[in-house]
Amino acid sequence: MVIDKLTKRYGKLKAVDELSITIEKGNIYGILGPNGSGKTTTLGIVLDAINATSGSFKWFGETPTKAIRKRVGAILETPVFYPYMSAVKNLEIIADIKEVSYNQIPEVLKIVDLTARKNSKFRTYSLGMKQRLAIAAALIGNPEVLIFDEPTNGLDPQGIAEIRNLIKKIANDGLTIVLASHLLDEVQKVCTHVVVLEKGKKLFAGKVDELLGSSILVEIAGPEMDKIEAVLNKSEFVSKIYRDDKMFIVELKTGLDSSAINKSLVEQGVTISHISLRKKSLENYFLELLAESHDKTS
Amino acid sequence: MIRLLKIEFKKVANNKTFWILMGLYALILGTIFFGIQSVINEMMIDAGKKAPIPVTKITLYDFPGIWQNLTYVAGYFKIILAIVVIIFITNEYSYRTIRQNIITGLSRWDFLLSKLLMILLISAAATMFLFIIGLILGFTNTPEVTLSMMFINLTFVFTYFLELFAFMLFALFLGILTKRSGLTIGLLFLYFYIIEKYIYYKLPDGWGDYLPLRSIGNLIDIPNTSLMKIFGLNFRTFVSIEDVIVVFVYSFLFIYLMQLTLKKSDL
Repeated sequence: MVIDKLTKRYGKLKAVDELSITIEKGNIYGILGPNGSGKTTTLGIVLDAINATSGSFKWFGETPTKAIRKRVGAILETPVFYPYMSAVKNLEIIADIKEVSYNQIPEVLKIVDLTARKNSKFRTYSLGMKQRLAIAAALIGNPEVLIFDEPTNGLDPQGIAEIRNLIKKIANDGLTIVLASHLLDEVQKVCTHVVVLEKGKKLFAGKVDELLGSSILVEIAGPEMDKIEAVLNKSEFVSKIYRDDKMFIVELKTGLDSSAINKSLVEQGVTISHISLRKKSLENYFLELLAESHDKTS
Repeated sequence: MIRLLKIEFKKVANNKTFWILMGLYALILGTIFFGIQSVINEMMIDAGKKAPIPVTKITLYDFPGIWQNLTYVAGYFKIILAIVVIIFITNEYSYRTIRQNIITGLSRWDFLLSKLLMILLISAAATMFLFIIGLILGFTNTPEVTLSMMFINLTFVFTYFLELFAFMLFALFLGILTKRSGLTIGLLFLYFYIIEKYIYYKLPDGWGDYLPLRSIGNLIDIPNTSLMKIFGLNFRTFVSIEDVIVVFVYSFLFIYLMQLTLKKSDL
């Protein structure tokens, strides 16, 4: 899927601002961004629920039609079904729209573990069950691309873990998945690629590994924090220093490891009580990206 | 087409409100059709006692007059069907299922078409219901039935179908415009019973007949009865082609406007 300079205005507000994204086959994409950054609007546009102000997009290299949407399984925001109908009846409507047989319904219900409640009305479902049914609905018709928008929104930790495992399980089948979320941890655990949005603009697009593997973070603490800071500020190995409550978090220049910084601290006669490697999380990067973009705009 | 109708039918068939309202409609019409003649005749006999000239007993159920009588009376209750339509279109907005339908693979036109087909089906079912009751009452009340008598006035039955369809189209149009059930039902009543009547009296003579709901209501005129003849009133006993054309024009206009509204709206 290729999105080209997509823009959506709501009055003065630009919900999506000249956004260009390319989604390639077989990868799992995380679309990250704070609430209101344009994730759902962008997905709504490519699914034809929302009209774009300008720009274009293509699915499978073709201009979008309803036939193409049948090759995509999608849930946007909250799970949407007819509340007075059972899970099976609701899925039958999905199958009718996608013009596929009902044969698949028992199978997808089994995948999301709803077989026992398949004849209960949708409105009697818990939020977790509703989310799972939405995933089942997205799987109907063997789609080539799955789009999940905030699939774990409002769930308890157990529910989140269930959905996450479900998505991983589906991902193993080689489908292309687009997962929009404001939960960084979720994207880090599930996705291969990430696109970061803010105020409708793209801040970053690339592989999660590349993003995380580019440098090393080291936690350092000791009795004399001022002295440590002085050394770190002068050190040629350090590219960035963050001050936490009780420790410094130091980003090293590429290609270095923690022994270099440890050595220079010892040489200066500064005692340290704690030094340890920290795996860089998406959260750090995300906050950094957002901070950078704020710096630019302010 | 069949697929769209199947989808739409599944949506309503599992809904209790739908069946309750449709049952209510059938019950009301059935009761009135089977009961109205005796009620009117009792009133007439009452009136006849005081009247200077003898009042003859009226027969509502003779072929071929029955068709105009039944379709005219039934016209008053089409508002129930309009409410059914409003509930079903606005539900799609409040549940947000319209958006999911589009995402899943319907085009906006498909969505509208499925609603139009459903309205056609409801109109056809209601017309068939009236036709069957008409046959039963006609056969039991007409002394000598001939084939031509039975079918000579069937234009009223077809016109009734058009009346229902056009009226429900208007309801659908309001529903798509406002997206909220309570508001739409309120608007329909307000427009039907107050606003349009007000405009009608404000317009120059004759113009008011071209208002949308007025023109739909004009399709089938008040049947002439012996009572009315006494007062020298004479209503139209046929369906005017002009009225039919006006209603067709409105129907196409409503469909076009709905299509435009859906195309432009974000769901």
